[in-house]
Amino acid sequence: MGYIQRRNRRIFLIFLFPVIVALFATTIYPMLYAGWLSFRNYDLAKPFIPRVFVGWANYAEVLSSGPFLHALITTFKLMAITLSVQLVLGVGIALLVTQKLRGMGLVRTLLLIPMMISPVIVGLVWLFLYFPELGYLNYFLSLIGLGPVSWITSTDWALLAIAIADIWQWTPFVMMGTAAALQSLSPEPYEAARIDGNSRWDVFSRVTLPQLKPVLVSLMFLRAIDAFKIYDIIFVLTKGGPADSTEVISLYIYRQSFTFWRMGVGAAASFVSLIIISVLITLFFKSLQRGQASKG
Amino acid sequence: MSFMRTVALTAALAAGAAGAANAEKQFEGVELKMLGIGDTSVTRLAPIVGEFEELTGAKVQIDMFPYPGLIDKIIIEASSDKPSYQLLWVDSPWVGMLGEAGALEDLTDLAKRDAEEIGLKDIVPIQLQENTWQGRLLAFPASGMIWSTNYRKDLYENADEMANFKAKYGYDLAAPSTWAQYRDQAEFFTRKAGDTLAGETLEKDFYGNAQAFSRVAGAITHDYFPIMRAFGGDYWDPGTGLCAMTGEAHVKAAEFMKSLVPSNPPDYLGLMWDLRTGYMERGETALSSYWSVRTVRLTNPAEAMVAEKGLVVGYAPSPTADGAPQPTYTGALSFGINSKASDKEKEAAWAFIKWGTSEAMMRRFAEEGSGVSQFRKSILSDPDLQAKYPYYGVLLSAQENAKRRIFHPFYQDVEENFGIELNKYMAGETETALEALTTACNAVNSRLKIFPEEMRLRWIDDVPADVLKD
Repeated sequence: MGYIQRRNRRIFLIFLFPVIVALFATTIYPMLYAGWLSFRNYDLAKPFIPRVFVGWANYAEVLSSGPFLHALITTFKLMAITLSVQLVLGVGIALLVTQKLRGMGLVRTLLLIPMMISPVIVGLVWLFLYFPELGYLNYFLSLIGLGPVSWITSTDWALLAIAIADIWQWTPFVMMGTAAALQSLSPEPYEAARIDGNSRWDVFSRVTLPQLKPVLVSLMFLRAIDAFKIYDIIFVLTKGGPADSTEVISLYIYRQSFTFWRMGVGAAASFVSLIIISVLITLFFKSLQRGQASKG
Repeated sequence: MSFMRTVALTAALAAGAAGAANAEKQFEGVELKMLGIGDTSVTRLAPIVGEFEELTGAKVQIDMFPYPGLIDKIIIEASSDKPSYQLLWVDSPWVGMLGEAGALEDLTDLAKRDAEEIGLKDIVPIQLQENTWQGRLLAFPASGMIWSTNYRKDLYENADEMANFKAKYGYDLAAPSTWAQYRDQAEFFTRKAGDTLAGETLEKDFYGNAQAFSRVAGAITHDYFPIMRAFGGDYWDPGTGLCAMTGEAHVKAAEFMKSLVPSNPPDYLGLMWDLRTGYMERGETALSSYWSVRTVRLTNPAEAMVAEKGLVVGYAPSPTADGAPQPTYTGALSFGINSKASDKEKEAAWAFIKWGTSEAMMRRFAEEGSGVSQFRKSILSDPDLQAKYPYYGVLLSAQENAKRRIFHPFYQDVEENFGIELNKYMAGETETALEALTTACNAVNSRLKIFPEEMRLRWIDDVPADVLKD
């Protein structure tokens, strides 16, 4: 190795060092510690309980727990609602805002605002909207002779109310990604389709959508990861209730760790959920790769 | 008379303070922080802590947080080797949890040493007992609590309403002494917009009752447990130390609460303490039972519109199943000292507790008009103050036949499990009360069963407070 190469390597390591330290301190060490914790009987509030090694007991407890299974199902329900609506709305709005009309730049910027707000603030904003007696939504509904709806205090509505808040915040993310992809599409296939006399729907379904597919898949992938760990909005709006209608995985983990103070069980539940989401994502990508290969 | 007494007490306090000041401010340079709640047990004191600094030199900062989540902060604080807070606000059900963890300084010897100064014999005895763990005093009362009934007296004394009620239910309309009467009255006063209430046409729905049904921070249990007690139930099996809340009294109490749902606001499943008391404070419900720490707001126009609107609120002890006296549950909101604070900080913290809970201070709050759920016999029995705060009489008499609230090291497990299961039952997600209570009890017992019976029995043993022994 020559002098310049050695010097470059040194510089490379010097620049990399802070990142490695930060990554270790904020991600790798906490993860290793959580892994260690997940095999122990660790109750933060009860130091009189021996903090001993318990093997796989915490994992066994989580996997056989009814509330964990319920939280998992609720999480997937919420993901199904939010992701599907965000996909449809996001693509629809993207098609609209990429039209060459006056003021679309401003509209696009305004639409991005929800995404820039902290989820806790989004939760508070929707709390004011949903508030049972004094909320704006019920006020507006009353003007047209409807309601009141127990948005966040009814087991029938609460999950939907959470979904609406999440959709409001994250549809712009899908819109933004889709709009960027739309603007980068080559114009030739569209001209050919127009010359062939295809309808607008045909052009969209046979030309636009197939070209957008990789981008949409990536967007949905990112949203799925985010939706799986949704916490802030639910914590502000319902804290998992009423009953257990909005108790998702992250709330379950929170309760185990910071209400029952069973840090070991909470850590085990975190790892179980990490494994579940990793497996699902791997399966999803494998099926995508198979799809691409079969087309190739 | 009481004014003169206050002047005398304040003068005495000032004289004592001057003495302290002459001693070059004993705690000059000491900084104390309190992890507290934003409720009447702290909000009255927080604005005047500067006076304590003037007297002693110790600077006090009170950080106030909402009740949900406060215990989490306290536990994290208690588990730290280098505490940020020397003073901890303590709700009495937490005493076992914090006591068994060794988080609170034992105040027994300090209270005995300063018995005269703190007026130990003037404190309602159960309020001291509420703050003990295994007989040791771990916190000092700043507010004494009972769970009692508040009702719209103006409605109960309306001639039309009285006549209609008697015609429908066959007995006179008065503050309920049984749960059956409570339900009758809740049902009777539930009206729709457009109906008439005390001769006025209602612009919006009016609710006969408002109780806490929310699962958040176990809010529903804070109403369920006193009701369960008033039905004759208890928390634990005295033979095994395990959860025993699946008996007849427990089921009846849960079924009773559910029978109140039609008389409650439609958002009942989300009714936390503050939202529930809000209905009473705005005069939008006929009766609501809750802990007296919020009852005190009803006489303060700045905190409750009911006073501003000129509506009259009546106060009564909690009903029982058959109207016969049943020990009611008390509670205490108190100040404790972090066991990991330094000796100097502990001394200063104890001086602060004595100052902030002294008879002079409590009387000052009462005379300034800020309602406080008092814990001193001399104040609660003062005729002038009783006239000003009609709930004082109820507060005092209810504590003569009182029983201590839950004080178990696994209190949070009880609160959370019962909170969720009862909320599910109220929402109709769980079919029967017994099923809900059994699920909650099993969850609690699954954690308790790993401990020896001897330990479990010790945890439920309410050892008499050392400070109450002669």
